[in-house]
Amino acid sequence: MTVVEERPPPARGRVLAPAVSGQELVLVGVIAVLWVLLAFTTPAFLTAGSIQPLLVEVAPVAVMGVGMTLVIISAGIDVSVGATMMVCGVITAKLLVDADVPLLLALVVAVAVGAVLGTLNGVLIAYGRVHAIIITFGTANLFLFLGLQIFGSQTVNGIPGTLAFFGRGAEGRFLGIPHSFLLTVAIAAVAWWYLRHSVGGRHLYAIGGNAVAARLAGVRVQRRVLLAYVITGALVGLAAVFTVAKGTSTLDQSIGTGRELAVIAATVIGGTSIVGGRGSVLGTVLGALLVQTVSSGVTQLNWPSQLSDLFVGIFVIVAVGADLIRQRPFNRRPLNRRRAR
Amino acid sequence: MTAQETVQTPVQRAVRAVLTQRTVLLVVLILVVVVWMSLLSAGGFLTAPYNPDYMSAALVDAVPLAMLALAELIVILSGRGGIDLSVGAIVSLTGMVFGFAYGQWGWPMWLAVPLALVVGAALGGINGLLVARLRFPALIATLATYYAYKSIAIVINQQQPISTEPVQQLYAVTSSVELPLIGRNIPDVPLGVITFLLPAVVVVWLLLTRTTYGRRLFGIGTNDVAAQWSGIDVAATRMRAYVLAGMIAGLVAVYVTAQFASARPDAGTSGNGLALPAITIAVLGGVAITGGIGKVSGVVLAAVLITWLNAGILLYVPGNAGTQFQLFALGIILVFAALLNAITTRRYGGTR
Repeated sequence: MTVVEERPPPARGRVLAPAVSGQELVLVGVIAVLWVLLAFTTPAFLTAGSIQPLLVEVAPVAVMGVGMTLVIISAGIDVSVGATMMVCGVITAKLLVDADVPLLLALVVAVAVGAVLGTLNGVLIAYGRVHAIIITFGTANLFLFLGLQIFGSQTVNGIPGTLAFFGRGAEGRFLGIPHSFLLTVAIAAVAWWYLRHSVGGRHLYAIGGNAVAARLAGVRVQRRVLLAYVITGALVGLAAVFTVAKGTSTLDQSIGTGRELAVIAATVIGGTSIVGGRGSVLGTVLGALLVQTVSSGVTQLNWPSQLSDLFVGIFVIVAVGADLIRQRPFNRRPLNRRRAR
Repeated sequence: MTAQETVQTPVQRAVRAVLTQRTVLLVVLILVVVVWMSLLSAGGFLTAPYNPDYMSAALVDAVPLAMLALAELIVILSGRGGIDLSVGAIVSLTGMVFGFAYGQWGWPMWLAVPLALVVGAALGGINGLLVARLRFPALIATLATYYAYKSIAIVINQQQPISTEPVQQLYAVTSSVELPLIGRNIPDVPLGVITFLLPAVVVVWLLLTRTTYGRRLFGIGTNDVAAQWSGIDVAATRMRAYVLAGMIAGLVAVYVTAQFASARPDAGTSGNGLALPAITIAVLGGVAITGGIGKVSGVVLAAVLITWLNAGILLYVPGNAGTQFQLFALGIILVFAALLNAITTRRYGGTR
C-alpha cells in the first residue's frame, strides 16, 4: 500500500491582517486634518514650540496604552493604572529628593515598583479567576492608600532636575524630538512586533478571542494573562517617571487621577476591541496622539480646556461606532473565511 | 441534594450560608464592625463615642452612594457587560440644570425636581441608545458619555457653581429628624435617608421583584438569546435599564446639590468621582458583573457596611489619614469578597 502524503491545502490569502489597519489609516487622516486646520487657525500650532510639548504630553498616556492594549486584547482591563502611577510617581520623587539617586536607578525602581503592583493584579486575576474589572477596582483603592501613605498628606517639594532627560527642556530632546516620546515609540515598536510575530503575542489574541479554546489548544492562559498585567504595571512605572519629569519641582497627590480612563479611551479610539481578541499598539499610540492633539488644540484656540473631554467622548463613540459597522459583515461571514488579526 | 442537606450539622449549614449567601455574609460583617467599633469606643480608643446616634448621623453619607449603587445594580443586571461609568457625570450635569432651574430661573420645587429626573433619564437614554440599540459595549459607551457629560457640566456655567439663596436653603435635607411613632426609642435619622434613599430602595425593590419588567431584566441579563427567543424585546428592556439608572442619578443630583448647598459642576466627578465607588458597592453587594444576579438587599447592606466602617475608621484614625484607611478597607473588602465569590462558585456552585 502506498502512503499518500496528505498536504495541507495551500493557505488562501494572508493569515495576518495588513500591517496597518483601516482604523489606523483613518486616525492618521483625522490627525493630519486636525493639524492642518489648527495650523491655519492658530499660526503658532505647527511650530517646534507647540509640537514638542504635545509629544511630551502624549508619551505617558501612549506608553501606558501599550500595556493596556495587551491587557484588553486578552479580554481583560486594568482600571488601577492611575493609582499605580501615583505609587510609582511618589516613590520616584521621594527617592530623588531624599536619596538623590541617579536617573537610571530612579527609572529602574519606578518600573520595578510598577511591575510588582502589576504582578499583584495579574496573580489575582489569572489565578483567582475573578473578573479583571472587579479586582482592579479593588487594587486601585489599595494602591491609592499606599500612594497617599507615602505622600504623608503633603506634597513632595524640591524635586531636583535629575529627570530632565525626560523633561520638557532642551536637554530632554534628541534631534528636536523629546526622549520620552522616542522611548515610547521604541517600546511600541517592540510591542507591535511581539503582538504580530511572536508566539506569546498571538496567544494573547487567542485568549481574548476564546480563553477556553485557547487553553484546550495548549496555551498557558494564566501565565500569558499574568504577563500582560506585569508589563502594564512596568510601563505605568515608566509613565510615572515621564510624568514626574514633565512636571514642576513639586509633586502633588493628583498625579495619576483619572489616567486610567484616559488610557482606556486612547486604546479604544485606536481600534482595540474591548471584548478582546482584536487590536493593535499602533492604533493606541495614534489614539493617544489624537486625544492630545485635541486637548492642545482646544487650549490654543482659547476655548475652555474642559471642552476637550467632550471631543474625547465623541471620538470614542465615532471610533467604536466605525469599528462596529466594519465588524458587521465580518460577523456574518462563515467562520473559515474570517481572517485572524 | 436533600439527602446531603439532612446530614449537615447546624455549624456546616451556617458556614455554607455565610459563604454562599452574600446578604448573610454582609450582615455578619456589619455585626463584626459594629461590635468591634463599640468595643474600641468603650475602651476609649476613639476620639468620639461610636454609638447609635453617631451611626445614624453617618448614614447621611450613604445616601448618594447607595442610590447610585442601585442604579449600577439595574444596569449590571441587564447583562452583556452592562455597567455605567457615567452616573457621576450625570449627577454633575443634572445638578447644574437643577441649579439653573431652581436657583436662577426661580422654578418651584415641584417642577425643578421632575426636570432633574427628566434630564437624568434623557442622559441615561443616550447611554441606553448606544448600548441597547446600537450595541456599543457598555464600558466604552458610558466611558465616552462620562467624558462628554462631565465636560458639558463644567463648561455650561463657566466652571462656576450655583449657590443662590434658594439652593442654600436646601441644606436642611441633611439635618436629622425624629421619626413619628417609633422616633422616641431610636436615634434621629437624617432627613435625606427618609426622603431620598428609602423611597428609591422600595421602588427599585418592587420593580425588580414584583413587576414583569423586573423578571424580564433578570431574563435578558442571564441569557440574551434565550430571552429573545421567549419573546422579550431585549433592546427595549435593556434601554430602559439605562434610562432608570439615569433617573436615579438625576435624583442623586438633587440630593447632592442640597447636601453641598450648591450646584457644583464637578459634584459627581471630582477626584475619583461617584461612579467607581458606586460600582464597588454594587459588586460588594453580590451583583455579578456578568449580569442576571443581584439583590437590592445586598446592595443596601454593602452600602451600610462601608458607611459604618468608614465612620468608625474616621474616629479611630482622625483626619486625612482616616480617609486613606477608608480606601484601604474598601479595597481589601472588595478583593476578598470577589475571591470568596470565585471560591464558592467552584465549591458550592455559586453565590446568591
